[in-house]
Amino acid sequence: MEKYLRTPIKEIIGKYPPVGALLEEYRIGCVPCSVGTCLLADIVEIHNLSPEDEGTLMARIAGIVSPGQAVALPEPRNRRPETTRKFSYSPPMKALVEEHRQIKRFLAVLPAVIDRFDARSEADRGLIRDGLDFIRSYADRFHHAKEEDILFACFDPGLDILKAMREDHERGRAHVRAAGEALARCDGEGIAANLHGYAGVLTEHIKKEDEILYPWMDRNLSMRQVGELFARFRAVDERFAEDRKKYESFVGRLEDAYAETISEVR
Amino acid sequence: MMSGCPGSRMMAFEKSDAPEGAVGNVPSQLRQWPIQLHLVSPQAPYFQGADVVLAADCVPFAMGDFHNAYLKGKALAIACPKLDGDQEIYVEKIRGLYEDAKINSLTVTIMQVPCCRGLLGLAMQALKASSRKVPVKSVIVSLQGEVLQEEWASA
Repeated sequence: MEKYLRTPIKEIIGKYPPVGALLEEYRIGCVPCSVGTCLLADIVEIHNLSPEDEGTLMARIAGIVSPGQAVALPEPRNRRPETTRKFSYSPPMKALVEEHRQIKRFLAVLPAVIDRFDARSEADRGLIRDGLDFIRSYADRFHHAKEEDILFACFDPGLDILKAMREDHERGRAHVRAAGEALARCDGEGIAANLHGYAGVLTEHIKKEDEILYPWMDRNLSMRQVGELFARFRAVDERFAEDRKKYESFVGRLEDAYAETISEVR
Repeated sequence: MMSGCPGSRMMAFEKSDAPEGAVGNVPSQLRQWPIQLHLVSPQAPYFQGADVVLAADCVPFAMGDFHNAYLKGKALAIACPKLDGDQEIYVEKIRGLYEDAKINSLTVTIMQVPCCRGLLGLAMQALKASSRKVPVKSVIVSLQGEVLQEEWASA
């Protein structure tokens, strides 16, 4: 079993597909992950299962990878019972989740913008330029920079989960670059494909961070680290205060302009 | 049926079969003196930029592992929100910790009895009045020393 605990999850699921379905049962969503380099042991730890669930999951995985064999299972981690710790994001994580909320508002309106886009219209091209500016400035320079330069630095940079998050950021950036190039060529299809691609990457990425990564980080950060992150994030917020207002009001205007189309799409 | 104030209701905890826990000399994690909130000053060097624990008086007695679990590496102030007087001074003093001592974080450890919530209330009142914000975590401890809840407080 030890060998499988140290094996990247994609490799295990590739060889033993039922493991993927089993993980889904425990709300561990590794199957759609495009990276899949996280080790099984890290994944189980990061999802903070109860010792009972962890023990059962390990036994069932052992039954799939080594059927009919007696396998020595790892001792489930002895954690504080869930009921003693009411989950709430720490203040710095809460700030990142709020920024995610703004990005999700933008992603929600994006399909309507793409749907109505006419490459011959200067106004429409201007809107895409503004949208790309929102992504580059708010989502990337402001929000992702906080994550990559400040938050991730609190953890071992070799962690697979962090590599996967950085890879998501890079995939998002590649889509934005390609959408910008398509815009310069007035290539409507190229713009649409890359913005849809960006929305897909970011939607999944935000879900992973909100539901899995940030709670795990919160469980592992000391009070000193939380206080330092809080102060450093606030310093970034102060530097970006004016721009932040501008970009958040841009999303509001976009929602108003596309309200009808959004409700039709929904 | 029990009645009266849960904060002063008489109870005895049978401990005859309880494990003894750590034996020998358990080192104290206290790094300062004084500790009582009326006596400490936000100007004290040990508060500058520190992670601070504001503990209700009863918590370190109820909780066997208070020193290692919560005090280690932190500065301390203690108070009783039920019995202490002049609590408006407490609010100003805690505000002084946020603004003048520029503490890094505050952990408020309180007992599960309702009157103890007042200490968290003082910390939050001070945070609301403070021009400088810091993360505040509340920890609620049972009468027998178990952590019942840890939660981030929001101003």
